[in-house]
Amino acid sequence: MMMFGYLLASGITTGALYALVALGITVVYKATRAVNFAHGDLFMICGFIAYTFHVMWGMPYVLSLVLAVAAGFVIGALAERIAFRPLMEQSLVSVLLATIGLSFVLKGIARGIWGGKGDFIPFPPLASPTPISLGGILVMPQQLIVLAGAIAVMLLFAAFFKFTRLGKMMQATADNQKAAKLVGIRTGRVYMYTFAVGTSVAGAAAVLMAPITLLYPDIGFVLFIKSFAAAVLGGLTSIPGAVVGGFLIGLIEAFSGGYISTNLQDVSSYIVIMLVLIFLPQGLFGGRSLRKV
Amino acid sequence: MKMLSVRDLSVAFGGVLALSEVSFDVAEGEIVGIIGPNGAGKTTLLNTISGLSRASQGEIHFAGTRITGRRPTEIAALGLGRTFQMSQLFPGMTVLENVMTGLHLRTRASALAAAFRTRGMRAEEEEAAGKAWQALAYVGMERFAHRPGTELSFGQQRIVEIARTLVSEPKLVLLDEPAVGLSVTRVAELDGLLRRIRDERGVTFVMIEHVVRLVMDVCDRVVVLNYGMKIEDGRPEEVSANGQVIEAYLGSGFDAARRSS
Amino acid sequence: MRLAFGSRQFLALLFLGLAIIPWVANPYILYVANLALLYIILALGLNLLVGYAGQFALANAAMFGIGAYGTGLLEVRLGLPYLLAAPGGALLAMLIGTAITFPALRLSGIYLALSTLAFAMFSQWVLLHWYSVTYGGGGFRVPNLDLSPLPIGPDLGIYYLSWVVTLVLVVLAWSLVRSRIGRAFVAIRDGEIAAQSLGIDLLRYKALAFALSGFYAGVAGALYTPLLGYISPEGFDLFQMIIQKSMIVVGGMGSIVGSVIGATVMVALLELLREFKSTQEIVFGSILIAFVLFRPRGIVTLLRRLPGWEEPLSSFDRRRYVVSGPASPAAAAAATGLARAAAEPARGEGR
Repeated sequence: MMMFGYLLASGITTGALYALVALGITVVYKATRAVNFAHGDLFMICGFIAYTFHVMWGMPYVLSLVLAVAAGFVIGALAERIAFRPLMEQSLVSVLLATIGLSFVLKGIARGIWGGKGDFIPFPPLASPTPISLGGILVMPQQLIVLAGAIAVMLLFAAFFKFTRLGKMMQATADNQKAAKLVGIRTGRVYMYTFAVGTSVAGAAAVLMAPITLLYPDIGFVLFIKSFAAAVLGGLTSIPGAVVGGFLIGLIEAFSGGYISTNLQDVSSYIVIMLVLIFLPQGLFGGRSLRKV
Repeated sequence: MKMLSVRDLSVAFGGVLALSEVSFDVAEGEIVGIIGPNGAGKTTLLNTISGLSRASQGEIHFAGTRITGRRPTEIAALGLGRTFQMSQLFPGMTVLENVMTGLHLRTRASALAAAFRTRGMRAEEEEAAGKAWQALAYVGMERFAHRPGTELSFGQQRIVEIARTLVSEPKLVLLDEPAVGLSVTRVAELDGLLRRIRDERGVTFVMIEHVVRLVMDVCDRVVVLNYGMKIEDGRPEEVSANGQVIEAYLGSGFDAARRSS
Repeated sequence: MRLAFGSRQFLALLFLGLAIIPWVANPYILYVANLALLYIILALGLNLLVGYAGQFALANAAMFGIGAYGTGLLEVRLGLPYLLAAPGGALLAMLIGTAITFPALRLSGIYLALSTLAFAMFSQWVLLHWYSVTYGGGGFRVPNLDLSPLPIGPDLGIYYLSWVVTLVLVVLAWSLVRSRIGRAFVAIRDGEIAAQSLGIDLLRYKALAFALSGFYAGVAGALYTPLLGYISPEGFDLFQMIIQKSMIVVGGMGSIVGSVIGATVMVALLELLREFKSTQEIVFGSILIAFVLFRPRGIVTLLRRLPGWEEPLSSFDRRRYVVSGPASPAAAAAATGLARAAAEPARGEGR
């Protein structure tokens, strides 16, 4: 029972993070039909930026969080301008290629500035390491903070879409590009903001997660694959799907790792991607049948 | 012999009925036009005949063989050719190579034969080039043979597309708006070309078209679709005078106004 | 008589140069040249699948690994001599490459890319964790190449073996694309629906393209094994995938010569930056972005305009099909009004 509780808590916590990153992927996909391969690496860079602010320069945690998110916003907007917008006309495959390139550039930069292949950078924990008991399950306070933070970000995100003007424009563009243009929405700008928002969400996720795991340059891709699995599982066109998918992947990982073999942790996402794309390409919540991209 | 026989054809996409119990025949050597307002189901009809869409109900027979539900490659092998509304030539090849691709079903060289450039494969390639050249010359486009497909204007590409379909000596060709992008003079020339092909090569045509002049001049019969249903089937003169047809295109108000004036 | 320097001459010169490298270079350069040969094979196979047939699959590095592992394991576990193990490894890669086709048939674009990527990651995981068969992350040594009774040592042996194999594979690919097969591939890439209406069976040709790229990658893997003397999962990872993709983007997609150029350029770059992994990543990533943005068709487009550098998808005698004057029987036959349309100047390139 202890094991189950532990795995459950762990799965939900990491699941919340996958959900956040998957949200970014889905939002960009919905708006542009393209997948940003560098999404995970943008996450990673934000995490390192937060590390620089908080650990290297001693700024308070929350401030570092805010700054990292802001940095994420800016970097996301820049990435969109440089690697994305000019290629949207060409083909979505070009976008993928360019974002693959971007992913490597970001990784190389991170490796150059902060550390090499084997260096894992620790982030100090925010709360005491003594576990709390929640209904018989032992939970680390850090995990609760992460979970709470993730949920807060998701709610903010939902509110942003529902209530702000920009959010509504993003939704409109995502639903029907041509109509959006006709109505006068500057889709180019909207793409930029979509990207930027997607990245800042990833940035927030990075900072939230940094205390519980280690930060290293290759984590970006690992996270991208897992979150992509989550997004695809939920249905690439469904935002609630991304959230559900994220938690599901987190739980699948935790339980397969705990009960079957630790080796299975990484590979479960690969298998999910393959199975979903072959047998259920629209995911759990995606309505439409798979369009040829 | 009936070249094409469509019986009670219905096609549904999701909840939408794109075609509803459409029936008509096409005799050998006829040029039949398919007309109707946008969204009437014309392209769906062509797609279903050529195997790209699935029929939900009904039967299609081509040259005596049942083709309902068969794959597009099989139907093409039986001698049915097709051009597309928005398509262009394959941009990665020259015009001549595009037409040579039309001979795919009439050539047999395997990958191994190609990789090792066997004598049989080389002979087949020369023969294919010769036939493609002749087809291009027949439509008057041989001057562009070695240019990349994209260098031609849209109208010119449509003509080459016809050559590409012709080169495999099909029995029936489905044309989807062949006159799109052509000027008035070129439309007249297309008219002549289609007749020539029918007279000299014995090809039957079924074509979707909006250009009224072409339909009137070249079609032996016209089938009118509206909202997925066939509403008329007859000679061009009869069809154009039919009130229902006018209504379909322009709305009932117009017809009432026309009659009362 | 004009001396033309076209793609054939370029390739001949390149291979001639590569043939004499062992006599003029030190062992390190020999190793790099050998690597270049292998990457040429990899780039060729990938280009056939991605550049010609338009299937944007990201599993090539995995096929490379399967070829290498297959060969090495057949040697080490079953004691097969290299000349039997190598084809075995290559065939294994080809079979697995073809097996991927079936799910791939329904997917395209990004979905194809990411599902094949997932497959590649999955196979890397298998190589890493299936200790009982693959020796896991530590890898394993393979015996030196023994080409007796030929009087040639292992280093020179593997080099010339690679040279011969690469040359053969280049020639085969060259011939293959200049045929109805090449045209079928490009038709599928440029217009799947029209291709089907012309009778081109998508499953068959996509399977062929996947099989070919699997085979080529497998052969490269089989040649890689004796070159390194040692196999581990490391060399077949995501970075490897990026390198291969960059080769064909930089060299030119849909071009045999482009594959060769891209491979040699990238290998040179790779070795120059060998010391600095982070620099490697930044440089490769930037090159990929730059080329996708500014020269997506690759270096070879600069050359294509020159006479002798075109890469047709056909192989007939060009001289028979030239529009001369009215004397040409073909022109005389085209006596319709549409011949006037032919007299219109063609539009400039692009629309």
